Amino acid sequence: MIEFRAVTKRFPDGTVAVDALDLVADSGKITVLVGPSGCGKTTSLRMINRMIEPSDGTILIDDLDIRSANPAVLRRGIGYVIQQAGLFPHRTVLDNVATVPMLTGWGRRRARARAAELLELVGLPTAMGRRYPAQLSGGQQQRVGVARALAADPPVLLMDEPFSAVDPVVREGLQDELLRLQSELGKTVVFVTHDIDEAIKLGDRVAVLREGGRLAQFAPPAELLARPADDFVASFVGRDRGYRALSFVGADGLTVHPLRTVAVGDAVPAVDEWSLAVDPAGRPRGWLPPGSAADQLTEDVLVPGGSLYTQGGPLRGALDAALSSPAGRGAVVDADGKLAGGVDAAEVLALLSAQRDGS
Amino acid sequence: MEDLVKYLGNPRNQDAVLELLVVHARLALVPLLLGLLAALPIGWAAQRYRRLRAMVLGASNVMYTVPSLALFVILPGLLGTKILDELNVVVALAIYTAALLVRPVVDALDALPGHVLAASTAMGYRPLRRALTVELPLAVPVLAAGVRVASVSNISLVSVGALIGVGGLGQLFTEGFQNSYNPPIVVGIALTLALALVVDLLLVGTLRLLTPWQAGRPTARSAA
Repeated sequence: MIEFRAVTKRFPDGTVAVDALDLVADSGKITVLVGPSGCGKTTSLRMINRMIEPSDGTILIDDLDIRSANPAVLRRGIGYVIQQAGLFPHRTVLDNVATVPMLTGWGRRRARARAAELLELVGLPTAMGRRYPAQLSGGQQQRVGVARALAADPPVLLMDEPFSAVDPVVREGLQDELLRLQSELGKTVVFVTHDIDEAIKLGDRVAVLREGGRLAQFAPPAELLARPADDFVASFVGRDRGYRALSFVGADGLTVHPLRTVAVGDAVPAVDEWSLAVDPAGRPRGWLPPGSAADQLTEDVLVPGGSLYTQGGPLRGALDAALSSPAGRGAVVDADGKLAGGVDAAEVLALLSAQRDGS
Repeated sequence: MEDLVKYLGNPRNQDAVLELLVVHARLALVPLLLGLLAALPIGWAAQRYRRLRAMVLGASNVMYTVPSLALFVILPGLLGTKILDELNVVVALAIYTAALLVRPVVDALDALPGHVLAASTAMGYRPLRRALTVELPLAVPVLAAGVRVASVSNISLVSVGALIGVGGLGQLFTEGFQNSYNPPIVVGIALTLALALVVDLLLVGTLRLLTPWQAGRPTARSAA
């Protein structure tokens, strides 16, 4: 558990970066600090490992005042992932990951063996350990950064906008990877971002900070979307928050209808409704418009489908699948990507109001 | 040309020239190493402490403008050495090398990527270990450019030492000049150039060895 008690940071030029911050980051959870630039989120993070010293107040890690520890020793027990990864360009990937174990005196052989394990843990081939950081893509570098932070198995992990320098597709992969890692490792993570969507996706609790380093709201993401504390939070959380709140609503009781399907490669007669084309494995490939016929159905006559809703996911996915489908009915797949049926937008909304009335 | 062949054909001349070449290399390279070793901590401190920076950079500029001959003549008085002592040349050239290299050291440290340094602090490096194992290796490419300039500068400056009697190949120039006899001068020039070239190649090779992580990137070019 990391506890901020009335922590203030004033810089010599008089700017107040953090103003009397009280915050508790629970053990084993991801706490996200989010806010516009100048809200003191990075300053707050860097005070935890004493890269910046507070002007006032106290920070405790597991009830121990961080000022009682030697800064270098304290830092070796706190994983840190920085924007752009901050890898050492002159060391191989393996030696980068082995950094903290080496600093704490593990010995080269053991540190490297541990580093190799970590590369595997973050989903990189061990052979990549021999390369230099410049030979890796941005996403791979960021994974190495995470592996390096975890190398000495620190209970606390600080992440400073770690995924902001990679493109959106890679970023999403890295976020999913982090959640998977966290479910295995259960670290106490403090994560800084300016991206509210990232905060909502990753955070067990999200602290929204405003300019001048004041805490505007500290709540689980669903609550942030449903009940923003004030106008600042509401506007920061942004548009579509009603829709985005559906990410936290379960889909129990949603009716899944059978869909009319056709198989790619088959002879298809014309019918007056939309049909969903599936491949031999039963995975949706696209929609066949009403009135279309084919002697041998090929994929190029298909209308690309909308998003797919994976069974068991939150309502947001179901509604999006229905809204984005050209047929007006969203395709539902099981965990293996095999078609399970279709959902209607109206039924999603009906289920939502039923849940609201029931609760 | 005939004279040259005759001059080089004499085994006594061969031995003498070879010995001068060895002396020349020693007089140029020992100060190069000493100057570099001095420039590293001075540059590191100058880069770290804002107030020191202007002072150190100013002083290094001034040092480099002191004429070499004057320094060769003054140093025996300051060091208590004999006027013909090799040490005078070594110390003088070490001072020049240090003066020449302080700025590249500062520039190289300035150019280190901030996120890498922040990461090293966050990993728990202490300042000295960080300087030696992170900052120094990363500064090598920029530093190497400075060292290459300094090596050429030293190799040419050693010749001036001939005027006080310690000058390696430079003594071939004074000898040839005094006797109005060209071959030693030609040999001296050729060997000075060859020495500069070989040393430069060695430095480039060393740079490659020290920076395997830079393979495939454009190498830092000498500013000379």
